[in-house]
Amino acid sequence: MSASIHIERASKVYDGAVRAVDRIDMDIREGEFFALLGPSGCGKTTTLRMIAGFEQPTEGTIRVSGKDVTGVPAHKRDMGMVFQNYALFPHRTVRENVGFGLRMRGIDKATVARKVDRALEMVSLSAMGERRPAQLSGGQQQRVALARAIVIEPRVLLCDEPLGALDKKLRQQMQFELKELQKTLGVTTVFVTHDQEEAMAMSDRIAIMNGGRVEQIGTPSEIYNRPKTRFAADFIGDTNLLSGKVVERDGGKVLVVAEDGFEIPGADHHPGGVVHAALRPEKIVLHPDESDAPCIVRGRIDSANFLGDSILYRIALPKGRHVLARAANTAHSRMLPPGAMTRLDWQPSDLVFLAD
Amino acid sequence: MSEAATAPAALTSDDAAPRRTGPNALAWLILPIALLFALFFVLPISLMLLMSVLTGNPMFEQGVRFTPENYIRFASDSYNWEVLWITIRIGLSTTLAALLLGYPLAHLMARVHSRTGHALLLIAVLAPMLTGIVVRTFAWMAILSDTGVVNATLMRFGLIDRPLPLLNSETGIVIGLTHIYIPYMVLTLNGVISRIDERLEQAATNLGAHPLRAFWEVTLPLSVPGILAGSLLVFALSISAYVTPLLMGGFQFMTLPLLIYQQISASFNIGFAAALGIILLVISLALVIGYNRVLGLLSGDRDLT
Repeated sequence: MSASIHIERASKVYDGAVRAVDRIDMDIREGEFFALLGPSGCGKTTTLRMIAGFEQPTEGTIRVSGKDVTGVPAHKRDMGMVFQNYALFPHRTVRENVGFGLRMRGIDKATVARKVDRALEMVSLSAMGERRPAQLSGGQQQRVALARAIVIEPRVLLCDEPLGALDKKLRQQMQFELKELQKTLGVTTVFVTHDQEEAMAMSDRIAIMNGGRVEQIGTPSEIYNRPKTRFAADFIGDTNLLSGKVVERDGGKVLVVAEDGFEIPGADHHPGGVVHAALRPEKIVLHPDESDAPCIVRGRIDSANFLGDSILYRIALPKGRHVLARAANTAHSRMLPPGAMTRLDWQPSDLVFLAD
Repeated sequence: MSEAATAPAALTSDDAAPRRTGPNALAWLILPIALLFALFFVLPISLMLLMSVLTGNPMFEQGVRFTPENYIRFASDSYNWEVLWITIRIGLSTTLAALLLGYPLAHLMARVHSRTGHALLLIAVLAPMLTGIVVRTFAWMAILSDTGVVNATLMRFGLIDRPLPLLNSETGIVIGLTHIYIPYMVLTLNGVISRIDERLEQAATNLGAHPLRAFWEVTLPLSVPGILAGSLLVFALSISAYVTPLLMGGFQFMTLPLLIYQQISASFNIGFAAALGIILLVISLALVIGYNRVLGLLSGDRDLT
């Protein structure tokens, strides 16, 4: 019994002045894994808390499966939430924690016991039922919180940075498990995170938030390959932001990068005026020679960081601007030493023009 | 570091007795308070205990010997039991009133988010403590007397024909004591409740519990240590109160502290007064021990590992 969520022009204003959330619109589809991604203070947690019913939007509406729930109190919304620090009841056993929501629904003891057993099995904690939360590791507590939220078969699963407190290895493992579980259950999931890799790895779609507004909503690949705003381009992965003017040149249009004056072809579809564009480091192809062969721009290697799977170069362009370029670490690749001159090239279509 | 460094040296040295490194130089700083404690607590209580089992004062009398007489006298007179029961009853009523009135306030204080709001509530709780007990008791006497604000108002509106016996009654004593000792309850509870993560209540409502149910299932059980500690404090204070039972009770209600004073000042029976003091002390002590046991059971159950 999954649900869709529609948020229409919702705002949350604190103390009449601070706009934590500023007229956002979101359509979260049934069964979708939807991430709210952004830096701290961007309004993602407030948005989640408004969906959960812990906060009332100052204006705008929230509808669940078409029904307006804006004024409905939290305990009547039928949503399961996993809190940042799990918020497990310390005075109750794991079984009692997981069974709490069922008990509040007045379900008989035998059914509660059966469902709790199944939920604990799902998160592989069957042996821990009689323990208290304090006797469990962080990862186990996380699983209990998850079991407690899904056992009530909620219409929506809400997660507030649920993996934030775990170390990297465990977090990765939990990402897979959570994603797997979400697929099995088919429950609409709204997932708040500030970790872009986590959002990319787990989500069907991502909403990038900044300063209380939604910057872009799209699939991970859309957001990575076709960011719409400078913030979106910059927040997800490494990126080179270029700005300049589009001018006519030999019948086509080129982008003249403001500071350096080099020209980038392929701006045909773009109107004149000052524009911004993003270029991913891995799209830049480096030719390590000083020949006169044609290229977009030349530069000098400033530093080279070996990252294991790739090498990240910081390259100084003639007028002092720096760009990042990433080269895959293949069998026959060799690291370019700092100080070496190189030619930089890329496909014109890899340059993404941004809205602002 | 220095202890770890000297320990092996002490073991290998020819010195048979290992050198003692003092616990911590800072520990000596408790010396003044330890002396104060010995002088003004251990000594008087020891003297009181001694006096309660002697036939007289050995400083002034000859042939003083040990005797259980004072305790036998207490146990054999039903009047003393009556006094003890009144004392405990007043203590229990005061504790209950302070808990019922104080809990909502402590909860509000713990959950108020604005700094100003919290500060105002704290001032409201603490301000009465800045006035003397006698002053506050007299204020209550003015409010609760037969011609006082409460009775006058109720009679004016025709709700009652005769003034309610608010003053010179057990009710009056409990009202006065509750007012005086409620800050101890509120502050103790506030300390415990503010440490309960608000998200636990939110988690409960998210799982379908009405906010009142969430309070009952989560907040209340987690604040039991505070309830016990606050109750213990208020009970111990109110059974040993002197001024308020005296003034609010109109000299008609005999509590243990009043009886002790009477035995010393009117009857000059210091031995019996000492025995009464010891009985009062034993009650408080039994409560503290009981409290620790209950808390130990609770936390043992919770496995705070």
